[in-house]
Amino acid sequence: MECVLLGDVTELRATTHTIEFPYTRTLGPVIGPFFTGLRDGKILGIRDGKRVIVPPLEYDPDTGNALKPDFVEVGPGGTVTAWSWVTEPTRKHPLDRPFAFALVKLDGADTAMVHAVDAGSIDAMKTGMRVTARFRDERKGRIDDIECFVPEGGAA
Amino acid sequence: MTDTTTSTDPNEPVTMMEYFMSLAYSDIVSAPVMRFRDALMDGRLIAQQCPKCKLVYVPPKGYCPIDTIELDERNEIQLADAGTVTNYTVVTPVQYYGQKETEPFVRASILLDPPGGMLILQDILDTPIDEVRPGMRVKAVWAKKGKRNVDEIGNRSGSALEGSLLGFKPTGEPDTPAESFSDKVW
Repeated sequence: MECVLLGDVTELRATTHTIEFPYTRTLGPVIGPFFTGLRDGKILGIRDGKRVIVPPLEYDPDTGNALKPDFVEVGPGGTVTAWSWVTEPTRKHPLDRPFAFALVKLDGADTAMVHAVDAGSIDAMKTGMRVTARFRDERKGRIDDIECFVPEGGAA
Repeated sequence: MTDTTTSTDPNEPVTMMEYFMSLAYSDIVSAPVMRFRDALMDGRLIAQQCPKCKLVYVPPKGYCPIDTIELDERNEIQLADAGTVTNYTVVTPVQYYGQKETEPFVRASILLDPPGGMLILQDILDTPIDEVRPGMRVKAVWAKKGKRNVDEIGNRSGSALEGSLLGFKPTGEPDTPAESFSDKVW
């Protein structure tokens, strides 16, 4: 139990609760191959006419039509198109030190995906900067098989 | 957690994912529940009784949701720690994440003796499951003084009082006739 001070006179008591719920889900015909690719150290997009969507979607976002499972490898380098700096990471965040959540448009892709960028400091972040995926040594077929993105050339 | 569904074979496609949802939050404990906790530490049960409909709320809520009346310390009453089993469920535990029980067990609703009050989901201690029945007379078993803990009791804990009130055990008194509590079974 913690004590919480409200103003300087009233002492209130709080209870802390943790809800936990583990589950397993199927990945389907598109995210399955995407995660299989990550486990194998590759990032896959899906062809949608002339463009390549990353992460791959099962349906064309404009028409809703099902997409053929036509995958293409993209990255591992890419460009940051937008970002937000996380000053105080929580225990649920991908990194335990300040980092950026960023939209990264991977080379060969026409859409950007969200991931963490380990840039060291907010001053190292810039829209348009080049980054590259840092894969974990032990990969399980999950989005965090990419530990994070890092500035290209190892500036961080 | 034992992983039985996800293939870890590096040559097999990945078809499943595991997710571990975890949410931690803090809740300021309301004044009536703080008094309820203090009473539990003292081996007592308190409740609030609505002056209009006379319903007894345990733990105290701070209001009567039926009459929309605010309740405070003046509406608080001391409850008995003996009562009657009104109904019960036998739970056969499935070994899902977090389940600590391995054998079937009972959770009973207990109508406390006058002035009343209902505790749900109570353990019936030292009693074979097939002896538990509606009408059975029971008495509270408290944790020893110094071993009681109410830290986890918050505003939504309901009747989950395991840290202080361990459960109930049969008194051996004659059963209470069902007619006397048949309108209070839930």
